Amino acid sequence: MASSRLQLLNVTLSRTVRVIHSTLAQTQRAFHTSQPVTLTKILSVDEIFNKKSLQAHLRKKELEYNSWLESISSEPLREDEEDLNMKKKTDLSALRPLVQKIRELQEKQKELEDTQDLLKDNEPELQELAESEEDECLKVIQDLKQKIISLLIPEEESDMSDLVLEVTAGVGGQEAMLFTAEIFDMYQNFAAFHGWGFDILEVMSSELGGVRHAAASISGPLSYKKLKFEAGVHRVQRVPKTESKGRIHTSTMTVAILPQPTEISFTINPKDLRIETKRASGAGGQHVNTTDSAVRIVHLPTGTVSECQQERSQIKNKETAMTLLRAKLYSARLEEETSKRYQARKLQIGTKGRSEKIRTYNFSQDRITDHRIGKTIHDVRGFLQGEELLEEMIVFLQQFSEQESLLDLLRDSDQDQ
Amino acid sequence: MMFKTIWFRLMHRYSGVSKQRSVVRLSSSAAEGAVAPPADCSVTAEQAVRLWARHFTLHGISEPLLSSQYIISHVLGEKTLERVSRKRLRDTLTDREIERVWKLCSKRLTRMPVQYVIEEWDFRDLTLKMKRPVFIPRPETEELVSLVLEDLQLIQGESHRTDLRGLEVGCGSGAISLSLLRSIPQLRVFALDQSQTAVCLTTENANRLGLQDRLDVHHLDVIKDADAILSKCDLVDFIVSNPPYLLSQDMKTLQTEIFRFEDHAALDGGLDGLSVIRSILGLGSKLLKKRGRIYLEVAPCHPPVIQQLIEDMMPGLLYLETHCDLTNRPRFCILQKKGEND
Repeated sequence: MASSRLQLLNVTLSRTVRVIHSTLAQTQRAFHTSQPVTLTKILSVDEIFNKKSLQAHLRKKELEYNSWLESISSEPLREDEEDLNMKKKTDLSALRPLVQKIRELQEKQKELEDTQDLLKDNEPELQELAESEEDECLKVIQDLKQKIISLLIPEEESDMSDLVLEVTAGVGGQEAMLFTAEIFDMYQNFAAFHGWGFDILEVMSSELGGVRHAAASISGPLSYKKLKFEAGVHRVQRVPKTESKGRIHTSTMTVAILPQPTEISFTINPKDLRIETKRASGAGGQHVNTTDSAVRIVHLPTGTVSECQQERSQIKNKETAMTLLRAKLYSARLEEETSKRYQARKLQIGTKGRSEKIRTYNFSQDRITDHRIGKTIHDVRGFLQGEELLEEMIVFLQQFSEQESLLDLLRDSDQDQ
Repeated sequence: MMFKTIWFRLMHRYSGVSKQRSVVRLSSSAAEGAVAPPADCSVTAEQAVRLWARHFTLHGISEPLLSSQYIISHVLGEKTLERVSRKRLRDTLTDREIERVWKLCSKRLTRMPVQYVIEEWDFRDLTLKMKRPVFIPRPETEELVSLVLEDLQLIQGESHRTDLRGLEVGCGSGAISLSLLRSIPQLRVFALDQSQTAVCLTTENANRLGLQDRLDVHHLDVIKDADAILSKCDLVDFIVSNPPYLLSQDMKTLQTEIFRFEDHAALDGGLDGLSVIRSILGLGSKLLKKRGRIYLEVAPCHPPVIQQLIEDMMPGLLYLETHCDLTNRPRFCILQKKGEND
């Protein structure tokens, strides 16, 4: 687990750098912040590490570890004491990787000091050797700091999920529906870009080739984790295809990201469901011939609705509608559990984030701005390809979110003291 | 063959939205008609869908938009319009495509069911060929297959048997048997139908799906050929059927799509709708292994009647349960052959 998170952080950082370099090589593109006041900064490893709160937190963790280590008993205990003992052992093993790294860091820092002392001695034969050892030490120290930071970032259970992506046209009529279709295509390409599965669950098209509403099941490693901050209202500003006088219109669409639960973790009582089909009228059965196999499911306790008319087989539509319903109910429950934690954050998930205007796609100025963190990228058409540019934005959001998590953690830790 | 002649006239585009005006002239009434598509105009798939939806509406054809969408997407090689790429929808149809669309849609104008027009439909995870007048599988029957599968999978799980055998009465297009065969790799099924056309269609669908090795299809009538069935078919673990269960008096209220095009023998269950069902139950007593089950799709009024029938006249059978369909109508009866100690 720790190594995969390290990899992510490394990948996150190095990929950003690679992407930035490649894009800069191609075109003139700059990063602006739209409003200096809401400038959101991604802190560097050193900046984070130098925070007093982080140092305090690490010390605290070490102390915790040591005290638990002492208190763990290897003698036979009473039953209730045994449970507590087991818990301490579990907590201990959870902390071990972090504490190990802290100790490694302390050792390396000592090594660095020793090497730097050698350099001061000014013996020429040792100079080169000492310098290269110093470099080596610094690299390892940087690496360890990164590892420690990523070990601190709390893991979300849902990050390992697959997800259901839902797009819905908002304000703006046909133009909004065309934009919705483009955004849906963008995410489809993004899924392909990452080698994820993209199964269309449902599409309701409009007459001009736009999309009223669509849903897809996306599956693959880290898919939910990457896409979870795409939820919200996306806004487009451009001259619509349907516009004859060349005026710019603003239209909106909404993206919802629903983590998909596994069978075991989430069950629904069939008695809570009302399933609606076309065949409700008449005697049904052999008495009726129809090609309308649409299915609509209502979860009575919560009023949540899902529907599907994607297939010619009714039972297949029912299964898809159930998948959609499960995703909606699961994400609602997840949100209940995490809402307190995310309350103050800039990056929201779940329904709180759903009505927020998160991003504007401005065609005439050729820019995409994410309003939560004040980040702008240029080349709208390129962005809508759903490849490197979208990845850039998402990586930035991920880093920012991790930073928010970390700072929250440190703040809480601080208050506990 | 008499012809119905229909003309359409397309108007020009107005502000990016097409308007079509159609002129329909019926020169005679006929069961099927040839149609000449207009030679001088170009039309996109999207426009064709809208045009024909309007025509169907004007002529009182049921589910006009769905009919239009299914037929045209079929011509374009897809099952549903959603699967046709947005670009393709906006491309002009080729001459061949136009001809085909017009030909098929004209058939729909005669109230032919869409499934017969495109000669294909889906049932669970299978795509089956449809051919009039062989009965078109209904969505309810998809649930019947689920019930059978649940039980069969339980049996397999407990006993790990690899020799399960079933009998289907009235196989029609083969929907039930082929779904079961597809899901249970070692199952073998004996299927029969009183219609030779149905027997041929089931065989054809079995071949298309590569399931022919485990399916025996026979041209037999469960009422008239009971002895022949008993001699040809070994004991089975279950019997499944969606038998004709409509009451004769209800036949005349059927929608035109069904009345005019589907085999009445696949629908008419006699005065009380139970004529075929009775024969199946009789067969069950003799052909089922102990504790073997019968799974029937029936009319909503039948379950209590069947229960009574069993008690009065078929002591070897036990009525297990009634299941409702998705619309909450009693639709499925499960019965069991009594064992030694039942």
